[in-house]
Amino acid sequence: MSAGRGGTLFLLLLGGLAAAMLASLALGAVSLPLWEVLAALVGGRQAEPMAVAIVRDLRGGRVLLAGGIGAGLAAAGAALQGLFRNPLADPFVVGASSGAALGATLALSAGLQWHAAGFSPVPLAAFAGALLAVALVYAIAEIGGVAPVTTLLLAGAALSTFLGAVVSLLVLLNERNLHAVFTWLLGSLAGRGWPQLRASLPYLLAGIGLLWLLARPLDALVFGEETAQSLGLSLRWVRGAVVGAASLATAAAVAAGGTIGFVGLIAPHVARLLVGAGHARLIPASALLGALLLVLADDVARTVLAPLELPVGLITAMLGGPFFLYLLKTRRQALGVR
Amino acid sequence: MAPLEARDLTCAYAQAPVLRQLELALQPGEVLALIGPNGAGKTTLLRALARLLRPQSGAVLLAGRDVWRLSPRTVARQLALAPQSEAAFWPLTVEQAVALGRAPHRGWLLPYTARDRQALESVLQRTGLQALRTRLLTQLSGGELRRVVLARALVQEPQILLLDEPTAHLDLKYQGEVLALVRHLAHRDRLAVVLALHDLNQAALCADRLALLAQGTLLASGPPAAVLTPERLAQAYGVRVAVTRHPLYGTPLVVPLLASLEEGAPFPVAEPQGPGLAW
Repeated sequence: MSAGRGGTLFLLLLGGLAAAMLASLALGAVSLPLWEVLAALVGGRQAEPMAVAIVRDLRGGRVLLAGGIGAGLAAAGAALQGLFRNPLADPFVVGASSGAALGATLALSAGLQWHAAGFSPVPLAAFAGALLAVALVYAIAEIGGVAPVTTLLLAGAALSTFLGAVVSLLVLLNERNLHAVFTWLLGSLAGRGWPQLRASLPYLLAGIGLLWLLARPLDALVFGEETAQSLGLSLRWVRGAVVGAASLATAAAVAAGGTIGFVGLIAPHVARLLVGAGHARLIPASALLGALLLVLADDVARTVLAPLELPVGLITAMLGGPFFLYLLKTRRQALGVR
Repeated sequence: MAPLEARDLTCAYAQAPVLRQLELALQPGEVLALIGPNGAGKTTLLRALARLLRPQSGAVLLAGRDVWRLSPRTVARQLALAPQSEAAFWPLTVEQAVALGRAPHRGWLLPYTARDRQALESVLQRTGLQALRTRLLTQLSGGELRRVVLARALVQEPQILLLDEPTAHLDLKYQGEVLALVRHLAHRDRLAVVLALHDLNQAALCADRLALLAQGTLLASGPPAAVLTPERLAQAYGVRVAVTRHPLYGTPLVVPLLASLEEGAPFPVAEPQGPGLAW
């Protein structure tokens, strides 16, 4: 086995992520030299109070949040692609994202105020919406305890379109919160940081961890569902576990950052080119790549038109779309598309 | 008690019966070949035996217990199936794919142990896949993929092995090797092996017993020489054949006769039943 090569790649990915995060702490409306960032992180007497405030309070939480959201979306995308044996599967396809969007929009338009489990109403409603939408898609597609993949994807696409329309309607009817809902739908990390990180990180980590544990069942599905069954896998169990864990990670990501597209679709494909298709490496590699992608995308969102901030979802779509098309043209076979 | 038994087994796809009240019992150390025309129900029978298709009535008994009362994993520890057509969607390596056969023993969450790696090595060697271990499934030829599927079933270390057309897409050398391996597994390691085969001569060479299926029922069952008679084959396939002897082993050798040459010279057997494929 090429364990050595895989290990080196993971070290490179981790190093790249750390470097990108450090650079992100330095970049922004006020640029800081790298040594000042380091000093602010370490603390001590040389650290300037201003730099400490910017690095630790303003940017630190946001950069880590971007990484967590990217990791969660990408791990969910990798697992859903594996479960459905479909290179186009991502958190949006099974309805999780649109369900979360509807939940969040409802909460935003209603102006709910209560709190629970460290979450404000918007993330909680997003979470409930994601789980409800996925359960609904599943219930519609299910026949005799089994949901055929094609039916599931079609039901997901149809429900996503429907929920998207409901969200648009709510936005139009509710002008008071129009701007908040709109930036949320585009996916934005503006003004997000430690509070959102504290609330979403446990769920992101739990979702990614669960998906990683499910690596071997996902591998078994490479040969199709009947073979996986003949190896002793219960399809009902593995579908429930993967969809549940992926929904958890997606809902936490969407709740914290809105509907950020393309990370969950692209990161797994790039990861597969780097570490191969075995899910034991694919899931963590996708998570690291997703984190890296979203940290970089958020840098672009913050700096390209500074002091104006763009929604990060705009950047991932504008950079991700063409990149995916490039991959599709040049690496068709490696993507599993024939 | 038979390791695997079909009792009064009736299976249907969407109400259309495919197997009708089939009775079959397997002995340890036995190679049983399922033969019969296309659509006779060979693959359906294998799927029912492997607990992939729930019978409409009747039961499949694994060591006397209904397979549908056992968990899939319990069944997979004792019984392995190598399906006929299988495509890999993502490019796993050969090694990763074969190792999946350890899952029924190791479970889905725990890492593989030295015992699993030892089983993997021995099977890779037996199936001649050692040199291909790091190759991607999507880069394999049809025959190489067949060997991966067989290897994955062997790594399960089953007591019962079900093989659907194990020689399809294999060249002459590997056909012979797979059939020899099957006999070795049954006669030396005391596995019970069921294989569905289209090639009647391979079946006669390899199997201890043949089960001739036609239209979902068991037409005949017994040693090759008893089943492979021109009359039986005409009844099942609706074609004329000559049966002679293998020059070395003395097993039956079925030689097809060209249907077109026989036109106008009616052969005194029953009319073809169902959509039999002529040679």
